[in-house]
Amino acid sequence: MLTKLAGGRIYDPAQGRDGEVGDLFVRDGRIVADPGTEPDETIDLSGKVVMAGAIDIHSHIAGGKVNLARLLMAEEHRAEPVTAEGLCRCGGGVATPSTHVTGCRYAQMGYTAAFEPAMLASNARHAHLEMADIPLIDTGGYLVLGNDDLFLELLASGAGEAAIADYVGWMLTATRSLAVKSVNPGGINAFKYNQRKLDVDAVGPFHAITPRRILAALAAAVRRLGVPHPLHLHGFNLGVPGNVEATLDSIAAVDGLPLHLTHVQFHAYGTEGDRRFSSAATQIAEMVNRTPTLSIDVGQIMFGQTVTASADTMAQMGNAGHAHPKKWAVMDIECDAGCGVVPFRYRDKAFVNALQWAIGLELFLLVTDPWRIFLTTDHPNGAPFTSYPELIRLLMDRDYRLAKLAELHPDVPAHCILPSLAREYTLGEIATMTRAAPARSLGLKDRGHLGPGAAADVVVYTDRPDRRAMFETPDLVFKDGRLIVRDGVMVALAAGRTHVVEPGHDPAIEAWIDRRFEARMGQKLAHFRISADEIRDGDGLVRHDCRPGAF
Amino acid sequence: MATHCDVVCPFCGLGCDDLTVEEDAGRLAVRSTDCPVARERFGHTPPAEPPRVGGRPASFDDAVRAAAEILWTSRAPLVAGLGTDVAGVRAALALAERVGAVVDHERSEGLYRNLAVFQRSGWIATTFAELRNRCDLLLVVGPDPAALHPRFYERWVVPPPALQAPALREVVFLCGEPLETTRAALGEVPFTVIPGDATQIGAVAAALSTALTDPTGAAPGIAGLAERLRAAHYAVVAWAAAGFPGAHADLAVERLVRLVQDVNRQTRCAGLPLAGYDNVVGANQVCTWQLGVPLRTSLAGGAPRHDPHRFAWERFQHAADAVLWISAFRPEMPAFATGKAVVALAQPGTAFAAEPAVVIPVGTPGIDHAAHVFRGDSIVALRTGHLIDRGLPDVAAVLSAITAALPQEASC
Ligand code: SF4
Ligand SMILES: [Zn+2]
Repeated sequence: MLTKLAGGRIYDPAQGRDGEVGDLFVRDGRIVADPGTEPDETIDLSGKVVMAGAIDIHSHIAGGKVNLARLLMAEEHRAEPVTAEGLCRCGGGVATPSTHVTGCRYAQMGYTAAFEPAMLASNARHAHLEMADIPLIDTGGYLVLGNDDLFLELLASGAGEAAIADYVGWMLTATRSLAVKSVNPGGINAFKYNQRKLDVDAVGPFHAITPRRILAALAAAVRRLGVPHPLHLHGFNLGVPGNVEATLDSIAAVDGLPLHLTHVQFHAYGTEGDRRFSSAATQIAEMVNRTPTLSIDVGQIMFGQTVTASADTMAQMGNAGHAHPKKWAVMDIECDAGCGVVPFRYRDKAFVNALQWAIGLELFLLVTDPWRIFLTTDHPNGAPFTSYPELIRLLMDRDYRLAKLAELHPDVPAHCILPSLAREYTLGEIATMTRAAPARSLGLKDRGHLGPGAAADVVVYTDRPDRRAMFETPDLVFKDGRLIVRDGVMVALAAGRTHVVEPGHDPAIEAWIDRRFEARMGQKLAHFRISADEIRDGDGLVRHDCRPGAF
Repeated sequence: MATHCDVVCPFCGLGCDDLTVEEDAGRLAVRSTDCPVARERFGHTPPAEPPRVGGRPASFDDAVRAAAEILWTSRAPLVAGLGTDVAGVRAALALAERVGAVVDHERSEGLYRNLAVFQRSGWIATTFAELRNRCDLLLVVGPDPAALHPRFYERWVVPPPALQAPALREVVFLCGEPLETTRAALGEVPFTVIPGDATQIGAVAAALSTALTDPTGAAPGIAGLAERLRAAHYAVVAWAAAGFPGAHADLAVERLVRLVQDVNRQTRCAGLPLAGYDNVVGANQVCTWQLGVPLRTSLAGGAPRHDPHRFAWERFQHAADAVLWISAFRPEMPAFATGKAVVALAQPGTAFAAEPAVVIPVGTPGIDHAAHVFRGDSIVALRTGHLIDRGLPDVAAVLSAITAALPQEASC
């Protein structure tokens, strides 16, 4: 079956198309070049805006901490149950939506992929089981490393770069992961020995290694293995005024190797001014602008009730006093990492929260290359992912942005440069930061663009001046060539896929890991490893190429 | 005769995956451990039986149709037991959503004593490997968890904590006596017993909390224990709330959770709420991710409504007019009031107090088919093996067939 999507304005930055009118051809779920034959079906898109399906590079959608957050957010599930309707099954939640609701809401906004950025090795099987229950969108997980005692022990033993890379490669493959994440490297482990703070150059307890060494080793391993996505770093001192120093330090620590800094808004704080809390967005943006190996996502906050869920137990324990409502959970996990869940309400009349909002927007507006900055709220930590359309409007509409700024705590404009930033994102830039760039960064060759061979994940919008309304309700959403959403209503269900890498590595490392598992973990290594047929019952695993040493 | 090595045991939530199980003519025998639960459960593999409708043998399709008819015409169905693997729970929730049922797991009471507290206040918790490798002081509160989780000490407490210096651990039993088997299992591990009334756990935990900062008024045993908690590097407070006596077990859990938080002001300490029989933790996980709310939820009316009191199966069974009971791990089933239409997905050889309207024998996860189950510490999911073929369907397949046999709703 050949379908022609005719006459839309195509925004496909990967192919250099910026709104020119053109046709797309879809066959067997893929975009194909114009075959010159009569299509079986033609859909007239004249006047419409056409983009690839959007990709969320960082969204906590599944796994142990997400389920703990759902349990802790009992109030929102009581208040916001979702009734089964048409193809959408029941569920509930806003900040912590259930699996079906997650898939439906993403698809209704034109998202066709979202990636769980903090999958613990010990919890990976759970995360995969849960992701398989999210319909309509593709998923995958980034494996959290750098606080696991095995890795720290290997590093402390003086193992060379090759052995470290073998360990990382083995773990990525065994847990069916797409990328490597590190969360407060060394800090989560140190917290298990009662350290509440660990600086980049401080020697950690027990294993006696510094975070700087962990960071450098992981970044090098990722490069050596050729994993497409750079080390995905949740940095140090999250949320602490003055943490910009540690953020800049961590950039220096990888010594020019590719690095992705996640939810940088939470790591871009200075200590200037009468309140000892200031925006360091300019410093970070300047660093990003002059460092081509660096990418970031923002972790924008939006006002309202949400919940923060993170592997960073050290930071979450420190934040627990701000919990709203007053309850929180911290878990030490399996000689691997941890998780901390703290409900939180961002208030627009609170100076700190309002400035956090402004810092996020400053980062968006000051970083010049949309290929290296991604649109995230660190769902649900800064806000639920459903606030993306509002965020897009803030980026594309300066008057709207200033009007919103005027509603916030009155001291904020004087403490930031946001009022002076005139930039408005274009549709092409939005398409880059939400489609082309995340796909390229993750190594998803056939997603995020509309060239021949790409998966036919296609979104069609009406070009409305109100960008929020435009991005909230696309006219049409296709997943793998199948129409799944029309005018915000689900018209068909589709299963997502799970994206992974399997980097080549020396299997000899397995014997070393096996000995330690046998001695410590109370679990056989053979049972820890997730077999391919466990992912989506053996149907839906997509392997992406690694290119060792190729950067 | 065949020998299965490194078999994963799905029964009590402790996640042992080192069993040696011998197979002889369709019979299984555990050879590597004395664990009574594993020996009994693996040892119970009677041959397959045909389904029954109204007490008479029936074809699979007829049984499925009869089950679908009962559930579809019911006004207040209960889908419970849920003694099944992740795939079975998924299928049960899909069916429950179609017929508007209340869902619960047979063993949710022990879990709920913990969850109620978690939902009110949260907690600081840990997992088995952290206990094994980092804990230098284990405080076991209340009746010995080994009664429910027989290899708890052998697997997670006796090995010295490799990630603690020095690699030493001691155990304290509070308000509960260690079983004889526990004393034997602990071997060289030093332990002390601070006797107390298990109905007073909440009060004892509160006294301990107070004694952390002000030991003056505390009984000598409590003051000493508070001092040891403060001096520990990584203390773990473990309990099996299912065994707590008294009506207000969740208040006891609440005090224990607070004690853990209080100790954390100075040193590290974490709770270990033990649960997990018959994959109750897995059932709760799937329910939470699919519905946003845990077990004990009603799907009548199309949206999940969670009420841990009203929708507990033991309570709701009185209001239910039809029951779908799932018990793939054990040949046991509760007795339901006469007149209730009961559909049982049960192990062959299950003894029924009264013959259910429909019985469909099912295979056991980890014996008849590979399966995903959760360990009791809720983080680790395991995949079991598949040891023998008795020709029994798995729960997910049966439930999917029942759902498919329901009348198609008018499309709108
Ligand atoms: S302790 Fe539990 S998991 Fe271990 S063998 Fe016995 S029943 Fe199985
Ligand atoms: Zn995050």
